[in-house]
Amino acid sequence: MQKGITVEKILLECESKAQNLLPTLKKIGVVFGYVSKEDAMKVAEYFELSLARVYEVASFYDLIETKKTANLEIKVCSGGDCVLGDSTGIVHEIENYFRIKAGDENNPKVKLRKISCLGRCGEGPIMIVNGRVYEKVTRSSIYKILEEWA
Amino acid sequence: MQKNIKIITEYWGRIDPLKIEDYLNVGGYVALKKFIKEMNPGKALEEVKLSGLCGRGGAGFLTGKKWEMVAEQKSKEKYFICNLDESEPGVYKDRLIAENSPHLLLEGIIISTLTIGAKKACIYLNGNYEKAREILGQAISQALENNLLGKKILGSEFSLEVEIFSGAGAYVCGEETALINSIEGRRGEPKIRPPYPTECGLFGKPTAVNNAETIANIPYIIQNGGEKYLECATKLFVLGGSIKNRGVIEAPIGLMMREVIFELGGGMSAGKEFWFAQVGGAAGKLYLEKELDAPVLGSGAILVVDKLADIHDLLLSWTGFFRRESCGKCVPCREGTFRLNEIAERLADGEISDRDKEAVLDILWTLENTTFCPLGKFAAVAVRDAVEKLEILK
Repeated sequence: MQKGITVEKILLECESKAQNLLPTLKKIGVVFGYVSKEDAMKVAEYFELSLARVYEVASFYDLIETKKTANLEIKVCSGGDCVLGDSTGIVHEIENYFRIKAGDENNPKVKLRKISCLGRCGEGPIMIVNGRVYEKVTRSSIYKILEEWA
Repeated sequence: MQKNIKIITEYWGRIDPLKIEDYLNVGGYVALKKFIKEMNPGKALEEVKLSGLCGRGGAGFLTGKKWEMVAEQKSKEKYFICNLDESEPGVYKDRLIAENSPHLLLEGIIISTLTIGAKKACIYLNGNYEKAREILGQAISQALENNLLGKKILGSEFSLEVEIFSGAGAYVCGEETALINSIEGRRGEPKIRPPYPTECGLFGKPTAVNNAETIANIPYIIQNGGEKYLECATKLFVLGGSIKNRGVIEAPIGLMMREVIFELGGGMSAGKEFWFAQVGGAAGKLYLEKELDAPVLGSGAILVVDKLADIHDLLLSWTGFFRRESCGKCVPCREGTFRLNEIAERLADGEISDRDKEAVLDILWTLENTTFCPLGKFAAVAVRDAVEKLEILK
């Protein structure tokens, strides 16, 4: 989280017209990790839109979170090209290592998600840990990556 | 047909995408100058119609026809949108265009926007394409500095603003009405058509939405004429999977799959045996070896699958993708993609029942025939082929 930045500051930086809604929600997500219900209410008030309208946008897009993020957020690409490069095996390896299931959103410490293609197929399998992208990942190379974040 | 002509990739890796001078030195913006000094929007539209250029995003609609529909509209305000959302798994040709030849794309956008009579253009960029955003942003600033954009372009009466709008990760936003909803600050759900965006698009104004690769062909057409383009049109192919030459390759349009895979693509990777190819991304049909003598359709992505690949992993990849990306607006797609993915999981675990086998056919039919937008139909394509051609249920 960047110091000194508040939701109010982010809001005042932009004109309150509907096409700024998505960029603003994205920005809040980047700074605070997610868009909380309280923040969504502030956004709704500023843009003079209903809370439902703001929240339905916030919850729709993959790049905006509406729940507090886990300490360790792991995403593995499950596109065809990465799958042919053993990304499914990588997911199983991580599941076994942490004793978690991909797609389980309730673990506050570590979350593992299979994600859609990021358009980096030449460099796959792709794994993202807390926003950092790792290329050409293998079942054995994940341990070194996870150590960086331990 | 002329072989080896490169319209889009000619200078990739040979000029610095961050320097407008490099692009100007190899004849960049000559087409725009020609458009402004020697042509007019009507003449440009004629050339594009003559070129037979059709959409490179997958649907293949005639570009000239789409533009004509917008140009004919009487509204004073119009918009041009460059669709660079590109979220189809296995497709990243548009990203490479933006990263390697941002000025070619921008020149295409400028000419396209002026041709349809709009003063504002928007690039809808995939939210994950951060590097492309920086490069395109810099290209726009440089074009402004050189009076190729902005007010009174090159001393003419034409004025134009170009903005970049970054998406936030939603496959369905590649669909033009969903894309427009997304820019307007709504959920990226598709709208009922008609009215088509050409009539009632962004902020209710006539809008042309074109794929980035389509637009990158425009400078060549303006510079050399539509007839010339007709003889040498190219397409970008994205090769992936168990193939020797992986990556993006530009080749004449209309090539057979066999030529693309075994000649351009160099054939199978060492020690791998061809099983099938999926053409067009996750929404693409599957082709067995005996079916390869047909032209490559759709977005140009070819995923080559070898005989040792685990079909269950691929089924989970396809069905999981559409389950995640279904926008939820219509029930057949929201429920159908969900159930298909569940059944794929049971199939992978060896727990599939006879009831599941029947249900698959039912779900596929429903997706193919009753969903609101094409995403639902796409979700059925690969699974349908896997059932019929690869006999996954037997």
